[in-house]
Amino acid sequence: MAAKLTSPGWYRALLYTVVGIAFTLGMSAGLRAIFNLDPVYSWQSWVTIALLMTPLFFLAGIGCFDYWWRWARGRKVVDDHADHGAHSWRDYFKVNTDHKVIGIQYICVSFFFMFVGGLMAMLVRAELAQPGRQFVDANTYNGLFSIHATLLIFLFVIPVFAGIANYVLPLMIGAPDMAFPRLNALSFWMLPLAGIMMLLSFLAPGGSFAAGWTAYAPLSVHQPMGATFFTVAVQFAGASSIATALNFLVTIITMRAPGMTFFRMPLLVWANFSTSLLVVIATPFIAASQFMVLLDRALGFNFFNPAGGGDVLMYQHVFWFYSHPAVYIMMLPGFGIISEVLATRARKPIFGYRMMAFSLLAIVVLGFTVWAHHMFVSGMQNWIRIPMMITTAIIAIPTGIKIFSWVATLWRGVLKMDTPMLWAVGFITMFTLGGISGVMLAMVPLDIHVSDTYFIVAHIHYVLFGGSMFTIFAGIYFWFPKMTGRMYNERLGKLHFWLTFVFFNLTFAPMHLIGVQGMPRRVYDYAQEFATWNLIISLSSFVLGLSSLIFLYNMIASWRGGTRAVANPWRSLTIEWQVSSPPPIFNFDAIPSVVGGPYEYGVPGAVHAVFKGAEVPSPVPAGAETSPTPATEH
Amino acid sequence: MGEDTRRGPVTGRMWVTLIAIGLVASAIGIALGLSLRWFPAQGSTIAHKIDTFWDVLIIVSVPIFVGVVTMVLFSIWRWRQRPGEELLDGPPIHGNTKLEVVWTTIPTIIIAGLCAYATVLLLDIQNAPAKGTRVINVTGQQFAWTFSTVENGKKIQTNELYVPVGEPINFKVRSLDVIHDFWVPEWRLKVDAVPGITTGYALTPSKVGNYQVVCAELCGLGHAFMRANVHVLPAAKYAAWVQKVTTPVGAAAVGAASNGSASVDTIGKQLFVAGNPSTGTLACGTCHTMKAAGTSSATGPNLDKFVAQDPASAIREMIVNPNKEIATGFAKGVMPVNIGKTLNKQQIDALTAYIYKSVHRR
Amino acid sequence: MEAAAIPAAVAHDDHHHGPPIANRSSKVEPEVLGILLFIISELMLFGAFFAAYFFIRVVAKTDWPPHGALPVEVAATNAVILLSSSLTMHWTDVSAKRGNTYAMRVGIVTTFLLGSTFLFIQINEYLSLGFNPTTNASASIFFGLTGLHGAHVVIGLLLLFMSAVRIFKGKVGPDHHKGLEVPGIYWHFVDAMWIIVFTTIYVL
Repeated sequence: MAAKLTSPGWYRALLYTVVGIAFTLGMSAGLRAIFNLDPVYSWQSWVTIALLMTPLFFLAGIGCFDYWWRWARGRKVVDDHADHGAHSWRDYFKVNTDHKVIGIQYICVSFFFMFVGGLMAMLVRAELAQPGRQFVDANTYNGLFSIHATLLIFLFVIPVFAGIANYVLPLMIGAPDMAFPRLNALSFWMLPLAGIMMLLSFLAPGGSFAAGWTAYAPLSVHQPMGATFFTVAVQFAGASSIATALNFLVTIITMRAPGMTFFRMPLLVWANFSTSLLVVIATPFIAASQFMVLLDRALGFNFFNPAGGGDVLMYQHVFWFYSHPAVYIMMLPGFGIISEVLATRARKPIFGYRMMAFSLLAIVVLGFTVWAHHMFVSGMQNWIRIPMMITTAIIAIPTGIKIFSWVATLWRGVLKMDTPMLWAVGFITMFTLGGISGVMLAMVPLDIHVSDTYFIVAHIHYVLFGGSMFTIFAGIYFWFPKMTGRMYNERLGKLHFWLTFVFFNLTFAPMHLIGVQGMPRRVYDYAQEFATWNLIISLSSFVLGLSSLIFLYNMIASWRGGTRAVANPWRSLTIEWQVSSPPPIFNFDAIPSVVGGPYEYGVPGAVHAVFKGAEVPSPVPAGAETSPTPATEH
Repeated sequence: MGEDTRRGPVTGRMWVTLIAIGLVASAIGIALGLSLRWFPAQGSTIAHKIDTFWDVLIIVSVPIFVGVVTMVLFSIWRWRQRPGEELLDGPPIHGNTKLEVVWTTIPTIIIAGLCAYATVLLLDIQNAPAKGTRVINVTGQQFAWTFSTVENGKKIQTNELYVPVGEPINFKVRSLDVIHDFWVPEWRLKVDAVPGITTGYALTPSKVGNYQVVCAELCGLGHAFMRANVHVLPAAKYAAWVQKVTTPVGAAAVGAASNGSASVDTIGKQLFVAGNPSTGTLACGTCHTMKAAGTSSATGPNLDKFVAQDPASAIREMIVNPNKEIATGFAKGVMPVNIGKTLNKQQIDALTAYIYKSVHRR
Repeated sequence: MEAAAIPAAVAHDDHHHGPPIANRSSKVEPEVLGILLFIISELMLFGAFFAAYFFIRVVAKTDWPPHGALPVEVAATNAVILLSSSLTMHWTDVSAKRGNTYAMRVGIVTTFLLGSTFLFIQINEYLSLGFNPTTNASASIFFGLTGLHGAHVVIGLLLLFMSAVRIFKGKVGPDHHKGLEVPGIYWHFVDAMWIIVFTTIYVL
C-alpha cells in the first residue's frame, strides 16, 4: 500500500488531492489571517484557491510531473519507454506518453462530455417544449444551456479534434511520437479536470454558472459561486489546448519524414498546423478575459466595474478576439478530416490541393480580423461595424473555395458511399447552409435584427453540429479500424447517419424562422406564438439525441467484437494506413521516406511513402536497436 | 483530363438537364423562402427596407445551396461505386486553374455586391431620423425597463413605453447593472444597454399598435420575463396620454383609481399576486412562496420562513432595497430593484402591511 | 474493452526496444521552437492585458495614473536590474557552451539574485503606492499588468533555480546545455517584457 501511495497512479492522486484540499484550506485561512480579514475562514476564498491549486496536486499525484521533477533535481532520468503503449484497458487510465494512447484517451473523454452535454441539451429542449415552466426553474435552466455550450465547445469539439490528430498526425508525417510526449500527457490530463470542474459547479451554492458560455461581464462578475468554477475550468482547458497546439506545431515543423515537404503533407496535417497557429495565438485572450473576471470577482478589481472607471465592452473585445478564431479552431481540423475521407472514398486527388492549403492559411489570417462581428449590437463605436462586416464576408471566399473543391473532388470519382463518406457529403451540404447563414449574419442591417435570437442558435448549430460534429463522426468512423484494429458495423453507421441527418435538420432548420420572427435566445419561457415550432423542435431533438445511442452501441460493440481490420481497408496512400491496424507500439521499424503527394489516386504506380526493407506494411514493431527519442532527451 | 471510359462523358444534354433541375429547384426554393412569413409586423419606417434586404439575401443564397447540392447528388448518382468497381480509381484530376478562378471570382462579386448594399442600407438606417427628434431615455435593470422623457417641460417616467406614431424618436439606452438589450422586434433595431455608457438608436414608429420590448441579452434569472409593453399611439391619443400623466392628480389617480376604496389588505394582496400592471411592477408571488397568498415559486426566498421574525420596517426595507441583505442560498441582484420606485408610498405601505400580517399569522 | 487493447502479436513486451529515431526536418531545435511558440502565446496574454489597458485608459478615458504620481525612478532602477540580469544570463549561457564551470555557476547565481532583487523591489513598491487594485480601474490595470509580469518573473526564477540545481550537480556542460538555454530564452523574454510594461505604465 505504501508503495502505491508513493508511485504514480490513482492512489497517490487521491492522496495528493486530499493534501491539496487541506493545503488550500490552510492557505486561504492563513492569507486571511495575515490580512486581518474577518472571519478568517471564508468559503468563497477557499473554493477559489482550491479550484486553482487542487488540480495541480492531482496532476502531480497521477504522475504528470514525475519525470520533470527528477530532471529538475538533476537526478538521472531514463527514457525506457516503459509507459509507452497500452496493453490492457487499465493502461488507458494511467499517465501514458504514447500519442496513440493519448489520442484514444482524448477521444473517449471528450465523447463522455459530449454525451453529458447532449443530455443537458435534451433537458433544455424538454423545458422549452411548451411555454411556461415545465420542470426546471430559471436558474437551473440558465445553468443547463450554459454548461451544455461550455462542455461541447471546450470539452468536446476542441479536444476531440486534438485527440484524432494526436492519434493520426504523427503517423501521417512519419514521426515515432509527438515532439514532447510528456507535455502531451499533461495536456490530456488537464482536460477531464476542467470538465469535472464545470460539472461540479452544479453543486455550488446558488447553482451552476448561468451566464452563458460567453460569460459576459458584468453578469458573470455578479454571479453566485458557480461562475468561479467556469472561470477556472476554462483556464485548464485553455492551457491544455495551448500545450497540445504547441506540440503539434513543433512536431509538424521538426519531425516530418524525409521527403515530406510542406506540399506533400496530407491536408489533415495542414489543417492542424493552421488550427494550432490559431490556438497558440488566440487562446491566451480567453485566459486573460477569465483572469480579469476572476480578479473582479475574488479580489474586487475594477476591470468591468463602470463605477470604478472600468470598461464593460472591453470584456467582449478580449473575449471575441479568442472566441471568433475559436470557431475556426473548431472547424479547420474538420476540413482536414473531410479532405482525407473524400480523397480516399472518391479515389481521386483532392481538387486544387494547394488552394486548399492556402485557403486554410487565409482563414487563419482573416480569422483574427473579424471578432467584432459578434458585437454589432453591443453598443461599440458604430464605425467599426462596416470594416468588420467586410472582413467577415471575405472569409466566405476561402471557405467557398474549399467547398467547391470538395464538390469537384467528387466529380468523376469512384464514390464509395459508406458511412464516413455519407458524413463527409452530409457535412458539405449542411456546412454550406451554415456558411450561407454566416454571410447573412455578417450583413450588419440584418444582424441587428437577428442577433441574440434563435437565428443565431440555428446558425451556430449548423456550423458546429452540421459542420464540426459531422466531420468528427466522419473521422471517427474513418479511423476506427486503424485505432482499434476492428471494423465498425456499416449498417448501424448508415442508420446513425440518416437518423442524425434528418432530425438534425428538423431540429435546427425551424430555429431560423422563429429567430427572425422574434424569439430571443437563452430564454426559459417564450411567447405563445412560438409554441408549435418549439414543440416540433423538441420532439425532433429527442430523436436526434437517441440516434447518438446507436453510435455509442456501434462503437462499443465493434470495439469488443467487430471483425478484424486489415492494415489498409480503404486502400489509402497516406502513411498511417501503411502500418498495421492498430499500429505497432513505436509506429515504425524505421522512418519511411516520402516520395510523392498524399492523394495520387488514379496515377498509375503512385506511391506516397516507401518503407525501408520493402515489406509494407510491417506488422511488428522496431527491431533490435535501442535508440532514445531525440526530441525528448536533453 | 481525358475521356471518362467508365461512364462516358457528361453530354451536353445532361448539362442542360442539370441546369434545368438547378433552376427549377432554385425557383422553388426562392418561392418557398419568400412566401414564408419570416418577420413580425413592420412597425417602423425602416422595417420594410430590412425585410427587402432579407428577400435579396434569400434570392442570392438559395441558388448557391441548390448548386452545391445538385452537383453533389449528380456526382453520387452518376459515379457511385457499383459492384465490380471496388478496385478502380478515379481519373487523377489535380485541379483546373480556370475553374478555380471562376469560383473565386463569382463569390467575390456576390460578396462585394451584398456588402455594398448592406453598407448603404446601414448608413441609411443610422442617418435617417437625425434632427429634431424626441429623446426617450431607456434604462434597463434586472429585470425591468424604465422609460423617461420630457413633455411640456415635465419629466415623465414610466415602465411602459408610450410613443406617438410617425415621429422620429432618439432612444438613449443605459443600464444600471448588467448588460441588457433594448429590442422591439417590430421595429427591427436593437442595441445593448451597457452599464457605464450610453448607447442607442433612432427610428420612426410607423404603425399604431401594442408591441413588446424584448430583452435580447442574457441578463440573469429573469431574462425571459424582462419585457415591457410598447404603446404606439396616434398623435391625438399620445397628447391625451401626456396630458393625463403630467397632471399631478391624474398620476396619483392611476394607482388609486384601480384600487378604489378597497381596504389596505386587498390592495396589498393584489399587488403581491398580480403586481401593478399600469407601471409594470412585477408581482411578488411570481418568485416568492407565501402561503396566505397561495403562491409557491422557489425563485426567491420563501417569505413564510424568511421574514417570519422580521418587523414591518425590515420587510419594507427589503422591498425597497432588495440587495442590502441576501438570504443564504440566493443570489444578489435577482429581485428587481425598481419596485420601490414604481409603487407609490401608499402602495408600498399596503404591500408591507399585507406581507407582515400574512407571515405572522399563526 | 479488453479486445480494444493492442493484439498480442503487436504488443509483445519489448520495453528495451526503443522507437526509431525521428527524422529532423528543420534546422531549429524542437526545444527552442517550443519555447519560442510558448513565448508567442505569453506575448498574446500580455497583449490581452495591454488591450484592457488601452480600453480603460484610452476608450473609457479613466484617469491615469491611478493615484498621485507613479514611482518612475524605482521602476527604472528595476529595469536596469532586469536588463543586467539578461546580460549575466547570456554570460552564463556562453560559459556553459565553453565549458567554463566556474563562470557558469557565478553567472546563474548572479542572474537569480538580480531577478529576486527585482521582485523584492517590486513588492516594496506595491506596499508604498498608496492605492490598491480596488481603488479604480486604472489601479486594476496597473496591478494587472505589473502583477502579470511579476508572476512571469516568479516562473522565470523557478526555471533559473532548476537550471542552477542542475549546474551545481554538474549536469550542464558544452554538450548538454538545453536545460540552461531554454530557461535562458524565457528569462530574456521576461526582461524584454518589462521594458514594454515599464514604458506603457510608467513612461507614457
